[in-house]
Amino acid sequence: MQMNSSGQSITHPPLLRARIGMWQHWKELARYRDLLYYMVVRELKGRYKSSVLGFVWSLLNPLLMMLVFTVIFTLIMPNNQIRSYPIFLLCGLLPWNYFTAGVLSSVGSVIGNGNLVKKVYFPREILPISSVLAQLVNFLLSLLVVFALLLIFGISFSPKLWLLPVVIVMQTCFIIGISLFLSAINVYYRDTAMILDVILMAWFFLTPVFYPVDILPKSYEMFGMVLDIHRLMNILNPMASIVNTYRDILYLGTYTVGDFFLRTAVTSVVVMLSGYWVFNKMSGNFGEEL
Amino acid sequence: MYIRTDAYSEGQPLVEVQNVSKRFVLRQEQQRSFQELFISIFNRRADSTRKLFWPLNDVSFSLYKGESLGIIGPNGSGKSTLLKLIAGVLEPTSGDIITRGRVAALLELGAGFHGDLTGRENIYLNGTMYGLNRHEIEQRMDEIIEFSELGEFIDMPIKHYSSGMYVRLGFAVAIHTKPDMLLVDEVLSVGDAAFQHKCMSAIQDFRRSGGTLLFVSHDLGTVQTVCDRAIWYEYGKIQTIGHPTDVVMGYLNHVAEKEEAAHQKRVKDERPIIRDEQRWGTKRAEITHVDLCDREGETRSIFMSGAPLEIHIHYNAPVRIEHPVFGLALHHQNGTHITGPNTDFADLDIPFIEGKGKMVFHVPALSLLNGEYLVSVAVHNQADTEMFDYHDRSYRFRVYAGQVRERYGLITLNGQWKQVSAAPVIKNGAKYQSDFVSQKN
Repeated sequence: MQMNSSGQSITHPPLLRARIGMWQHWKELARYRDLLYYMVVRELKGRYKSSVLGFVWSLLNPLLMMLVFTVIFTLIMPNNQIRSYPIFLLCGLLPWNYFTAGVLSSVGSVIGNGNLVKKVYFPREILPISSVLAQLVNFLLSLLVVFALLLIFGISFSPKLWLLPVVIVMQTCFIIGISLFLSAINVYYRDTAMILDVILMAWFFLTPVFYPVDILPKSYEMFGMVLDIHRLMNILNPMASIVNTYRDILYLGTYTVGDFFLRTAVTSVVVMLSGYWVFNKMSGNFGEEL
Repeated sequence: MYIRTDAYSEGQPLVEVQNVSKRFVLRQEQQRSFQELFISIFNRRADSTRKLFWPLNDVSFSLYKGESLGIIGPNGSGKSTLLKLIAGVLEPTSGDIITRGRVAALLELGAGFHGDLTGRENIYLNGTMYGLNRHEIEQRMDEIIEFSELGEFIDMPIKHYSSGMYVRLGFAVAIHTKPDMLLVDEVLSVGDAAFQHKCMSAIQDFRRSGGTLLFVSHDLGTVQTVCDRAIWYEYGKIQTIGHPTDVVMGYLNHVAEKEEAAHQKRVKDERPIIRDEQRWGTKRAEITHVDLCDREGETRSIFMSGAPLEIHIHYNAPVRIEHPVFGLALHHQNGTHITGPNTDFADLDIPFIEGKGKMVFHVPALSLLNGEYLVSVAVHNQADTEMFDYHDRSYRFRVYAGQVRERYGLITLNGQWKQVSAAPVIKNGAKYQSDFVSQKN
């Protein structure tokens, strides 16, 4: 039964090639959603293994942070310009921490699972995405603490609180986009993870986490041009928009301007899709590079 | 391009490999940092240190539903790369690979396991990795646990498992995902004999239920038993594809030739040196050297079962010796003494020897099976009171089963089977009774 290689008919229609695109990847990811779930479980279980309190730490951490802030900013260096400064800080810091934890834990996710990548086929984007989602679980738990503290500090809930889930989804899209991009780059250049610490620190100071945007000058003249700093910050730094939106909803109880909100949402989705695109371009060679 | 699709219509191959090539870039030191990248931009010559390696070079074949295809070839021939390409773990450099239906690749048992999770949780994790959903895994959970023989250990973190338990669970999950196609790479060589046996019968069940199998193995016997088609893969190409026995024979002949060439070179360079502890005797008559020869009298180190073998014993007797006895012993590599013929048992009386000469032991058809064997030679006096020279297990040769299909034990008895019940034996539509069905040699 000799087979002639060239004698075999080519049976796949050209249509099939066209379908291999973003959509195909989405469909496959959807089929593997249960794997995504178990990877998140695995990540969480791995994190809390052999710790006595386990997931309680997700609640305890923001509480303890709050305690530290309260002591520092009411006793040691009181900040009277901003009402309930510890809450103000926490409302910005928790989303920021979600961002950094998500990016830092996912940047090495492909390399860390190298053995898996080399031996089993599955959509590789599950690795960074599950790392981010595990941090999301953490973040959601810590938000419970925020609500409790809002009550304690007597800050009334905003009527726009229903927007909060939307913001969380927005931010998650943004983090996933960045994570997909960085985790793929990191496979080829391990320096990515190294330089990330510094970048995140700079980013932290450029984001209004521990200060309100208002303390920055409204406009700044440079090379004869008048720059709108507030606008510029929000345009150049999606995290600034996201943190401000959280703070609007949780702390100030105000409604974020509609088009601002929309722009942030669009930015997040664009970041996610571009990250996904880059990741898919690079993921084919992961098995070889690792 | 790698294309994975669920669309399958009757008559289409499950796997199509079309003109696939794969290039590996071998770099002395992996370029992994921005600094090195930066340097290499200005220093193009640094690029010349990279070597290209093509484990696949324009390979094409198809695998149809219900087929079982074995891939054989030496280590490093690219068999595993081929399997990884079909599994989707690696991407082809050029060419297309299309797989239809669900593919489960057993490249390593329990590759997706996580030590901190229990066996049960790992079944979910690993099962979803093979593309099942939660519901489908729940349906198979009991079967998987039963197959893995883990019992109560299933709810224990698997970092406490023994390696045997680990691979049992890994295989149990893979086989119970009921894929359309199973890719198996050598993994069955782990685990104890009972487990291997269980895996083999599970694979046979999988095949009987219409599953398709792609099997990479060094165990040529298993390939012949399990597969209905085989590929000999080497030098980045499919050397032959066809019936397993033919392919295995072609491969073995090639291996034998290569080993023979290497052996010849060694023989030319140096006569096998017999260490002192392997040799004793009064040396009144000496065995100078021993050749293992084929039908044509060519020196060989590799023989096929069923083929002739000759052992040539060259001796030198400085003084005249009356009625000497020449003998041999044949040992399997594991130490089993298989046989020990000598001229006395054969009633061959040698009146005397003096000076140089040669004794030949002729075996018309070798009944040894696959394995490595050692020959001892001796010459002693008729009463066996004086050993002149004895070379203990100093000559080595290898036997490949070749066309002999027997696989168990060391030798074939060349026996014959017959059915003695009254019922006629039907074979090939012809009716014949109480005929001896002799095995093919």
